[in-house]
Amino acid sequence: MSDPVPPGSTASGSSPTGATPTGAAPVERAETIKAVKLRHPWRLTIAVVLIVLLVLFVLDAAQRKAFGWEYVGKYLFDIRISQAALITLELTVYSMIIGIILGLVLAIMRLSPNPVLKAVAWLYLWVFRGTPVYVQLVFWGLITLIYNSIVIGIPFVHTWDTIAITWVPPLFFISVVGLSLNEAAYMAEIVRAGLLSVDPGQEEAAKALGMSWWQTMRRIVIPQSMRIIIPPTGNEVISMLKTTTLVAAVPFTLDLFGRARDISAETFTPIPLLIVASIWYLFFTSILMIGQYFLEKRFSRGTDRGRPVVGVGVDIEPPVAGGTGGLR
Amino acid sequence: MSGATGTNPATGTAGTTEARASVPMVDAVSVSKSFGSNEVLKSITLRVQRGEVMCVIGPSGSGKSTFLRCINHLESVDAGRLYVDGDLIGYRQKGDRLYELKASEAAQQRRDIGMVFQHFNLFPHMTALENVIEAPIRVNGMSKQAAVARGTELLARVGLGQQASHYPSQLSGGQQQRVAIARALAMDPKLMLFDEPTSALDPELVGDVLDVMRELATSGMTMVVVTHEMGFAREVGDSLVFMDGGVIVEAGTPRDVLGNPQHERTKAFLSKVL
Ligand SMILES: Nc1ncnc2c1ncn2[C@@H]1O[C@H](COP(=O)(O)OP(=O)(O)O)[C@@H](O)[C@H]1O
Ligand SMILES: [Mg+2]
Repeated sequence: MSDPVPPGSTASGSSPTGATPTGAAPVERAETIKAVKLRHPWRLTIAVVLIVLLVLFVLDAAQRKAFGWEYVGKYLFDIRISQAALITLELTVYSMIIGIILGLVLAIMRLSPNPVLKAVAWLYLWVFRGTPVYVQLVFWGLITLIYNSIVIGIPFVHTWDTIAITWVPPLFFISVVGLSLNEAAYMAEIVRAGLLSVDPGQEEAAKALGMSWWQTMRRIVIPQSMRIIIPPTGNEVISMLKTTTLVAAVPFTLDLFGRARDISAETFTPIPLLIVASIWYLFFTSILMIGQYFLEKRFSRGTDRGRPVVGVGVDIEPPVAGGTGGLR
Repeated sequence: MSGATGTNPATGTAGTTEARASVPMVDAVSVSKSFGSNEVLKSITLRVQRGEVMCVIGPSGSGKSTFLRCINHLESVDAGRLYVDGDLIGYRQKGDRLYELKASEAAQQRRDIGMVFQHFNLFPHMTALENVIEAPIRVNGMSKQAAVARGTELLARVGLGQQASHYPSQLSGGQQQRVAIARALAMDPKLMLFDEPTSALDPELVGDVLDVMRELATSGMTMVVVTHEMGFAREVGDSLVFMDGGVIVEAGTPRDVLGNPQHERTKAFLSKVL
């Protein structure tokens, strides 16, 4: 290194620990500090007040008629409810899987050197991120009204034949399509951020080895971007679980929330059933949050592992001025 | 071998008159390259013969990296022609028209040219051995078994036989750079480009990397080395080029350029690094 380190100190080669004046060598370790710990009386006071308020709330809620706790107990494990819970899980899983795959494709399209792919991906994101998912779901529910026949011919000029579409897609299917197409737009941004987080030197090294763009993506860039992609994807799963309640817009009603409402319409017990549904949602999201905690721990572990540890600003080159024209 | 053709890059054709049987490994003819309005390479002409070790020195920003990247077609050339082993880099010439190469054809050209970077650019999610065998398997379609055998041999050659299963983060900078050299060698390149391979290393780690490079030079590899290790240039280099401001200011044998620089700019630069 050509930095102005005092000549003697380079010999050892160890890192320059500039600020250790080695004057009189310390013989004895100084006495360990014993001080009175700082107290936080307000924290304790506020905590006590909050706990008291919480206990009061719970005691009050326990004996409040409107909550209908006996119905909560009755319906919490009702077979219709647990089936609906399963359907909510299925909606979540299918929509996320398709959303992630499509999001990955969109992200790669946006970063690809091909301007056509870039434009298509951009247009997709613009539409799907720019409109509410509720509105999109209503649209998908109406799709069979909008497109009900296939026309064979020259568009706007001549028609040879018209084939009516008789297939009516199941509402579950439409719900998954609606949710996943919307999710893909958000996943695309997450994946893109992940791909961009990978050091450009990686792509360069792969290229220099003769790897193709796609090989570079698949073998080098995508695996390294996972560290960035996975934690927010966990968030998206949790978010998706709750967004599935919007399939009512399709209208699909066999999910947890839809079922809970249907039952309460029969029994006139809306509040207990809302509580039942909430308990199930909380149960699922709690599991997901625990999973996400471990995922995040696992993937943040690599933060300083990911890159060769190199002095960031190490510029070895001699300090000749950038424009050296003046040297003459 | 001979640095003779490097001695007179200004004319660029000094070598041809000797009518060598073999084409030069690198033949740059008036290569220019701009980034926007910033002309980084200004009509660079030079030749590197087979087996020659050419060292390139020059201040920061003088275009050394860009020139190496052009040889490997990581950057495209704006003007002039660049041949590696007789092949025009980046383009196909039909008549007097140039056609851009397809991505796959450009990748094909890069296979034969190894590159070693200042910051190693090892793949951090792969072990040392996996780094080395990745391209032979994916690009050359080598069998995993053969690639592992060869990779193990190469790691041993660079002195890292014991570290094959280590991840880059578990290796020192000098070890990482030697893995990077092994990785490039695994593609059996005919030309190796080094872009300041020891500049990011702690001083005590530089020697091991230079030893590997020296051994490589002795084995007859054609090398273009951007470096500030004047000792290495003097001892191993067949020719030395001093670049500044996108032009080759001076070129010749290391002994001549370092010992008896002709230009003021060379003298000024050398006085700062020597
Ligand atoms: N990709 C790029 N885009 C724009 N300018 C660049 C790029 N790469 C290099 N440059 C510029 O080209 C000049 C030469 O850079 P470089 O070849 O890296 O010099 P050296 O390796 O000799 O330090 C510098 O002024 C640098 O800012
Ligand atoms: Mg450089």
